[in-house]
Amino acid sequence: MKAVGRSAAVAVAVATIAGCAGGPGAGGSGDKISDGKVVLAVLNDQSAIYADLSGKSSVEAVKMAVADYQAKYGDKAVVKEIEVLSADHQNKPEVANSKAQELYDRQRADIILDVPSSAAALAVAGIAKAKKKIFMDIGAATTELEGAQCNKYTFHYGYNTYMLAHGTGDTVTKDGAENWYIVYPDYAFGQDMQKNFTAAVTGAGGTVVQSDPAPFPNDNFSTFLLKAPGLSPKPEVIGTMQAGGDLVNLVKQYNEYKLRDKGIGLAVGLMFITDIHSLGPDALAGTKFTDAWYWNATPENRAWADKFQAKVNKRPSFPNAANYSAATQYLEAVQRAGTDGADAVVKQLEGYEFEDVFAKNGTIRAQDHLLLHDVSLAQVKPASEVTEPWDYEKILKTIPADEAFQPADPACKL
Amino acid sequence: MILSRLAARPPLLAAGLFLALALPWMIYPPVALDIACWALFAAALDLLLGFTGLLSFGHAAFWGTATYVSGLIALRAGLPFPVAVAGGALAAALLSVPIGYLSVRLRGIYFAMVTLAFAQMVYFVVNQWRDVTGGENGLQGVPRELFGLDLSDSFVFYYAGLPLILAGFLAVWRVVRSPFGRVLMSIRDNPARAQALGYPVQRYKLLAFVLSAGLSGLAGGLFALGHGFASLESVYWTTSGQVVMMVVLGGIGTLWGGVIGAGLVVALNDYLVTSGFDGIGIVTGTIFVLVVLVFRRGIWGTARDLVHARTGRRPDPGQGDASDGTPARPEGVGSPV
Repeated sequence: MKAVGRSAAVAVAVATIAGCAGGPGAGGSGDKISDGKVVLAVLNDQSAIYADLSGKSSVEAVKMAVADYQAKYGDKAVVKEIEVLSADHQNKPEVANSKAQELYDRQRADIILDVPSSAAALAVAGIAKAKKKIFMDIGAATTELEGAQCNKYTFHYGYNTYMLAHGTGDTVTKDGAENWYIVYPDYAFGQDMQKNFTAAVTGAGGTVVQSDPAPFPNDNFSTFLLKAPGLSPKPEVIGTMQAGGDLVNLVKQYNEYKLRDKGIGLAVGLMFITDIHSLGPDALAGTKFTDAWYWNATPENRAWADKFQAKVNKRPSFPNAANYSAATQYLEAVQRAGTDGADAVVKQLEGYEFEDVFAKNGTIRAQDHLLLHDVSLAQVKPASEVTEPWDYEKILKTIPADEAFQPADPACKL
Repeated sequence: MILSRLAARPPLLAAGLFLALALPWMIYPPVALDIACWALFAAALDLLLGFTGLLSFGHAAFWGTATYVSGLIALRAGLPFPVAVAGGALAAALLSVPIGYLSVRLRGIYFAMVTLAFAQMVYFVVNQWRDVTGGENGLQGVPRELFGLDLSDSFVFYYAGLPLILAGFLAVWRVVRSPFGRVLMSIRDNPARAQALGYPVQRYKLLAFVLSAGLSGLAGGLFALGHGFASLESVYWTTSGQVVMMVVLGGIGTLWGGVIGAGLVVALNDYLVTSGFDGIGIVTGTIFVLVVLVFRRGIWGTARDLVHARTGRRPDPGQGDASDGTPARPEGVGSPV
């Protein structure tokens, strides 16, 4: 009731202003842009395990996108007033769920961005569908977002388990490491990764000698690591799907047993630059992994990273850049549509091809709303080759957009 | 006795009922429902902690199991939401029978640890049984409906779910004030004496455990439908910890204290989430430490004592004290064995 009253009042006010001004331009923004402004909300983990790799720094990245949009269009901008909100879901799905409702309903958010970890992301996708508001997920890896649980208002932006597993599994195998030993954490993410990784390795002509589930969380991987050299045929590389603290433990033990000297390489399923930063490059030196974006890969990336560093005093992770890009592409779509109405903006985003600092050869696939873009196979540099802070990665090769991601899942019906 | 007690405090009851009805007008409706669910969960735990003297550190198992069972019933069978919630409560109660049977023989820290261990087992089962529970993706898109009525608006759903919450509270209140409740309190204060008087102590404890689990399940089931999903978070030990914290904040053995604790924790969390301050744990932790150090009887307990000190009334023996209506236990008699 209250909402109806308020929008009626706004309508009356707008009509009055338009009437007084007498020109067609005066009422324009009031009609096309809900509440006269666009509200971008970043809902992510600002206090628990994912705070470091995205969190508040991604809020800054989104603010940068807003500033760049305003600088680019100036007076021609469809949206005069843009607000950026943020909320901390502490990596709890139920907090994400109720906060998302509140952001859409009360704070009048037009789009929610980021939302790491799959349960929270899927919960917010459900809300986006019910409220018919746009949601661009960056932080979660699950392919469910563009699979069975996809919907018209949800976009998946940046990376997913298929990309991570396929990029590393396929390229490393083709580069000569044919026999793999896979260790994965025994929960949904790890099991998904193991499945995708095995498919990628066998697809590229390699063999998975064995894959072992490890308890999650776990601090002792010696059982797995020590048996690796004894397997037959002897694996050339260990593929680990562990993440976070588990990855740290595994890598430390891998180095302790000097497996690299025994001819067994290490490939990691999911790694963020913040992981390398906290472990130190030497602990991970030589490790190969798929990265969605690296700040020092091109001069363009570097220029953006410099601007980012001036604000938050660290180099951007790929989720930071992806948040910037997603916010930019959303605002661009609003600009093209001339309105922030969700349906019109979705129409502008679907099938859109573009290029920006994050997404090279970017396409938002119309069938499932997954962003396709070039990703890279990266290797961690040893400390001796690191020339400046955060300079940890060597880009081995670019995996083109059409190979990096899976074909559209028929289970997805938008 | 019960009637006269009820009649003696209509203002308080009316105020509570008014608060329950007005809550979604004052705060965001989904948050209001969260408070209501956690409040019942806290009251159910208090039945065990405050009135039976058993500190369960594994109640997430019951709350969490109910979220999944209720979610599955609504999702797969498409049954109306009260049926789903009742199914969740029933499942939680059933699960608590073997767990309770094995753990009520223990006391104190051993009981807490064993319940925690069982809850972790439940957590791992839920985590691994992906085909049914969805692993860490959780159970998503749980619908809620009642014979074709659309309850997707959380404001409407709050009022649809409120009768279940109130029924749960009535049950706890009734249990505490029944002869059965008196026996529980006597067991809390002196199990050996209760045993000597001929009460089968273990069986009473087990029944209290099952009742508490069932009511926790009722709250959990409603919580799942309110959010439209069930997640691993709900079976994780932090959930058990959170509800214990709510009870301690509000006041152990006060029943209504849990409501205060739940309201405080949920509302504070909701506020801090958007405040831009990233030390949510620090704030709630500090409040917890302060309450434990300064208000030993919890917020409700301390407030009640203050009121009684003002009015010169003897502390209401039915709340926070063992003996309802009977004189307090004389010093030295029946000290713990």
